[in-house]
Amino acid sequence: MNQKKTKQMKPKIIIGVVSIIAFTSLLMYNFGNSISTYVNFEDAENRSISHVIGTWDKNEVHGFSRETMQFSFYMKDQDGNSRRVVYSKPKPNNFEQATQLVVIGEMRNNVFHANEMLMKCPSKYNENPEFELADS
Amino acid sequence: MIATIGHLFLSAAFLASFLAMILYAVASINDSKQVETVSNWLWVAKGLCLTVASGALVYLIMTHQFQYYYVWNYTSLDLETKYLFSAFYGGQEGSFMLWILISFIVGLGLMKWTRKPYKAPVLFVMTLTQFFLLSMVVGWDLGFTQIGASPFRTIADEMPNAPFIMANPDFVPADGTGLNDLLKSPWMMIHPPIIFVGFSMMTVPFAFAIASLWTKTYHEWIRPALPWTLAANLSLLTAIFLGGYWAYETLSFGGYWAWDPVENASLVPWLIGTAGIHAMIIQQKSKRAHKASLFFAILAYVSIIYQTFLTRSGVLADQSVHSFVDLGLYGQLLAFILVITIMGIGFYLYRYKELPSPVEESKFLSREFMTFTGSMLLFILGFVIIIGTSSPIIGKLFVSNPTPPEIQFYNNWSMPIVIIMAIATVIGQYLFWEKHTWESLAGAMIYPLLLTSVATVLSIIIGDVRSLYYMIYILAAWFAVIGNGTVIIQLLRKNPKLIGGALTHIGFGALLLGIIASSVYTEPLLDQQTAAYNQRILTGDVFDEEGFPVTQRVEMFQLDINRPLLVNEKYMVTYEGFELSDTPRPGQQNYILKFEPIDGSTPFYMNPEVYPMLTSSTRDNIDWSVDPHVRTGMLQDIYLYVAGSRYVARENEELERRNSTEFASSDSSNQENDIQTIEIKMGETIDAGPFSFTFMNFIPASEEVVPENAQIAIRALLRVEHEPSGNAFEIEPLFAVYTENEQSFVYSPPLDIEQWDMSVLFTRIHPESDSIELTVNGLDEEFEEDWVLVVAEVKPFVSIVWLGTFILMFGFSISILRHWKREKDTTEKR
Repeated sequence: MNQKKTKQMKPKIIIGVVSIIAFTSLLMYNFGNSISTYVNFEDAENRSISHVIGTWDKNEVHGFSRETMQFSFYMKDQDGNSRRVVYSKPKPNNFEQATQLVVIGEMRNNVFHANEMLMKCPSKYNENPEFELADS
Repeated sequence: MIATIGHLFLSAAFLASFLAMILYAVASINDSKQVETVSNWLWVAKGLCLTVASGALVYLIMTHQFQYYYVWNYTSLDLETKYLFSAFYGGQEGSFMLWILISFIVGLGLMKWTRKPYKAPVLFVMTLTQFFLLSMVVGWDLGFTQIGASPFRTIADEMPNAPFIMANPDFVPADGTGLNDLLKSPWMMIHPPIIFVGFSMMTVPFAFAIASLWTKTYHEWIRPALPWTLAANLSLLTAIFLGGYWAYETLSFGGYWAWDPVENASLVPWLIGTAGIHAMIIQQKSKRAHKASLFFAILAYVSIIYQTFLTRSGVLADQSVHSFVDLGLYGQLLAFILVITIMGIGFYLYRYKELPSPVEESKFLSREFMTFTGSMLLFILGFVIIIGTSSPIIGKLFVSNPTPPEIQFYNNWSMPIVIIMAIATVIGQYLFWEKHTWESLAGAMIYPLLLTSVATVLSIIIGDVRSLYYMIYILAAWFAVIGNGTVIIQLLRKNPKLIGGALTHIGFGALLLGIIASSVYTEPLLDQQTAAYNQRILTGDVFDEEGFPVTQRVEMFQLDINRPLLVNEKYMVTYEGFELSDTPRPGQQNYILKFEPIDGSTPFYMNPEVYPMLTSSTRDNIDWSVDPHVRTGMLQDIYLYVAGSRYVARENEELERRNSTEFASSDSSNQENDIQTIEIKMGETIDAGPFSFTFMNFIPASEEVVPENAQIAIRALLRVEHEPSGNAFEIEPLFAVYTENEQSFVYSPPLDIEQWDMSVLFTRIHPESDSIELTVNGLDEEFEEDWVLVVAEVKPFVSIVWLGTFILMFGFSISILRHWKREKDTTEKR
């Protein structure tokens, strides 16, 4: 009885282990392909789709153009390169609030065409809070 | 003073939880009733201390004591009372306190209802988690290190090096920064408490699993643990629903789910908890799957703590739209997750050899096998999502600075898994209530399968489904709905109390149908011109100024006031203007859009809003935020928001002008003069900026409006047209000359055209050239009609997503009642 059981068990365990390994490796392989790395604007020039982290460069013009139906602004990446970013959607909510922006898209001719934009908004956090003085 | 009390009571609660933890351990080891009683009192004392501390925090918030960082950071003077109260758990520190408070109440329930031998060990585990959670907020400064971030710390504690604090340590800000407008929603008020109810109750199966390993009683723990697990799952599901509904109604990303790490943080424990429920049910029915139910009970809580760690430690900083502020709790959170994991998984592995194994393998066609399959699939789905959410950690294996995975990663993996799940639910339910062979099963399923096929074919035809993959998905989902529906009909005849399981599975099937309809078949609403433009983009015929092909489609359209536009060949949409109002948000614009379906059904209005976000707007920059309008319907929702408007554009220009003139001199009063005179002959048309004036004829003035002693009184019939829009007005300004005290006066009252902020005066007649002179005030060369930019989408069957969720909740509720009653019955028998 016992012997019979172990005989039956063995192939099952092997199948189980093999399928777990197969599943995990497929998952990790696919996971590895679906993530990417953050780059700066200069490196983005040579890639198809890139993720760039940066901040809004407030010194340059920004705004939505009703002719091209694009929102454009300048973004400074973490290495200080400032580039024009165009986004073919309206200005996202929280854009001004964002302490950090992530743009996902393609760099073409020194202009970054963003397909997606993420706003990092620690909605409360002010690094340099502006206080109004209290009445004494 | 109040803050000191709060701080002291928080410290007392922390100490009490530590003592209670030790004593519960002693009580468990020595099996001492007395020690256990002492520990119970300590537990209660801890809860009371925490309640006092929470009360102190609420008091500080209610009385606007802005010298405290938490109060300053999350509230403001103008906040409504209900939001002031919910600000208590609006920040990270407060939300930890809420979590502990709810766990305290759960602990009281456990104290009352848990039997020997589990009581002391279960409460030991509960206090252990309380100890860790309290350590996050206790705020002890030990000199060399800091334990926790106290909600009672002052601004001076938080920012000791800020210049204004250096200058004046007793500085008190006049007002707080306030609550983010997006969070001012009733949904967001109840969402956090419900999620923490779920988190707290999910501690219970974990505690029971540890107690079971401790006491080596591997079977009996299921009965008391199961209702708690079900209830935890119901809470998590409700919280996920509320979060999704809020996101859909409030945010402008246009959906209820985005695979955001914070969303995943509540989904994964739910999935693993559900896996645990399946395993526990097998164990209860068939005395097998002990290993699985223990494992999942442990893992569900570990996943909660792990996701807490991910979202609160700052690890996800770059990845989530809304990760929490990093409070420097990284070390403590890491310790918490390590202790929980080692205690749970380590203890499990230590006892693994002793755990009961089934005497024989279950057959493929058995309820045990099928339920276990469901359990494994839920676990696998949870596992995939954990991998995706952990990308900042695991991704380092692949690249140095990993981004989150593409959304496709989640979609691609979850779709095949849920398809198998959907099919397994039906086979599982059939086998659950009756033994079947392949033949009998096939026989029993003829009608459900027939109905499923009909429903699937109809869905494919109506929805114009082209993808084979989606067809299979839809088939599986319908199968889950109809197959489980058949099971329910049979159960209702026997015992209606048993339908909980089948009902949740119907809800799951409905949810799948709703998800695919509302996500894959969402269509933007567009006018014909934009649609044609997008078509050209698709064929690659549009190039930008640098000659690159444009690849991004335009998914919005412009509406000019009072000019109907046909969208999607379905609705005539007219922008009828906007109303400014100060409630509930100052400066908000309520836009009025009329939708007239061209099939002749009843017209309706949509009222999206735009408002300045006060928390983040400054004097020289307004942060405009949108509040979409969702028109819900049985068949489809229309989701719409205003992405831009003339009002907002003008306000921004105005602001910019003010900012730039502030530095320049303020002497220029050059812009008051937009008065223009126009000389015009009868029958002539003269253009002025975007407007044209046509002098059509003279008409006599009626007596009553003419002043006394008038020598001349005549009106000019004019047509004023705004050429870009084609809108026109006919006006009849008056010209009169009258004498008073032997002097002649001209009387020419202005006629206002309000829509254009313009007024027209008839100021002179030139008899020699047969022309008249008009004076026009407010003629803006760059004048444009009011307009709005609209982003709108039609989302079919979002209602089915909610319906599926409600059915799931209802099914869970029925199961909770059934298992709770069973547990009570066994307690009473003893």
